[in-house]
Amino acid sequence: MKIVAVTACPTGIAHTYMAAEQLEKTAKKLGHTIKVETQGAMGIENKLSESDISNAAVAIMAVDIAVEESERFEQIRKIKVSVQSALKNPEAIFAQI
Amino acid sequence: MSEILQKHKQYLLTGVSHVIPFIACGGILIALSLAYAFQFHYVGADGAPDLTRAPLFVRDMMTIGTKAFELFPAVLAGFISYGMAGKPGLLPGFVGGFIASMPQVVGNKNTSAGFLGALIIGLIAGHIVNLLKKLPVPKMFRPVMPIIIIPIFSALPVGLIMLTLNMPLAQIMVGMGHFLQNLQGGSQIVLAMVLGAMIAFDMGGPVNKAAFFFGAAMIQQHNYAIMGACAAAICTPPLGMGLATVISRKRWTEEQRELGMAAMGMGLIGITEGAIPFAAGDPFRVIPTIMFGSMIASTIAMLGGVGNHAPHGGPIVLPVVDGRLMYIVAIVAGTVATAITINLVKKFTEKPGIAQGVNT
Repeated sequence: MKIVAVTACPTGIAHTYMAAEQLEKTAKKLGHTIKVETQGAMGIENKLSESDISNAAVAIMAVDIAVEESERFEQIRKIKVSVQSALKNPEAIFAQI
Repeated sequence: MSEILQKHKQYLLTGVSHVIPFIACGGILIALSLAYAFQFHYVGADGAPDLTRAPLFVRDMMTIGTKAFELFPAVLAGFISYGMAGKPGLLPGFVGGFIASMPQVVGNKNTSAGFLGALIIGLIAGHIVNLLKKLPVPKMFRPVMPIIIIPIFSALPVGLIMLTLNMPLAQIMVGMGHFLQNLQGGSQIVLAMVLGAMIAFDMGGPVNKAAFFFGAAMIQQHNYAIMGACAAAICTPPLGMGLATVISRKRWTEEQRELGMAAMGMGLIGITEGAIPFAAGDPFRVIPTIMFGSMIASTIAMLGGVGNHAPHGGPIVLPVVDGRLMYIVAIVAGTVATAITINLVKKFTEKPGIAQGVNT
């Protein structure tokens, strides 16, 4: 299944990227393809395009702060979780898909 | 109810995440120029640093840092409101926050509503904009909403509210400053222990950020002790876990020893998150231990009079720390305490020869 995800923590130097890594690792293990956009202290990186989002079945939002350019995600089904839960138990997030 | 609180926490954290670089830039530039003044004895009659005779570059550095600081309440309120209401939220948030940074005189003290005012007015601004967005507007007037109606009818009430709140909030800020400065002995230790425990508890999560942001905001109020205590506590969880894997190799798996090295690197640059892989695999042993170590570090730093001018922790901020020797003592003590404690806990609660797995 094609999945997109956004990670964003308040400081944006560690958790944001660790959560992205966990989501990528878990998606690979479960046989999904995933593209993860990070919104850290450097701003948006690995940005999701309109077509990335429209081709995906679901968007995982692992965020503790407001999402930048959130209007991109208006049409897609979203699973909202905290950054902590993406770090600690990423499989539980994928179970909600 | 809890969902509403959750959302407001998210709004506040959005503001915090945007404002951290402003505190870092302001705090560090100001600290460096003051350090220069002390180093070369540009000191006034009252013992306070006097930059008027310092070289132009140092004075400029002071000005730049001060300006970054002055923007702090405006940016904080602006992005809290932005997190809530999107683009139209920026204007009333910025204006409200800017008003919160206006100087107020309380007694003989110059102060302002500062970060407290910014937090409050940011939320108010966001709510007002969201209300205005809901107004039923005939289609032909819709284009004037975002460019005229919302800016004026959000900034006006937000500004009036903030102008009214400025004085009472400035008084609260002064009161809080007095309270923190007059903390001594026992209550100072309690404050340091609470800060240390919060920093280590979730290693960079929301509880950690609450303590961290309190310390960071107090830098702007010229109280550097809170951040000093936080800074020492921030680095001991990863440093301590890393040290533990080095001093007692047999208790740790190959993978954990590698993680230990990475954790030490992260500890040196003040990233508490380095301890997460250990805590995730074994929370009931690791979390209380790192809390204990951080509490030791923060308490020693507080009692040793350590001050920190940067909103960050770990050995990396040493150049802008007051009381460097005690800062190092605090970090070393917290790190060693963490390492020894976790190895002892493992010794007495684990079957010999079986190292606990780690979930990565």
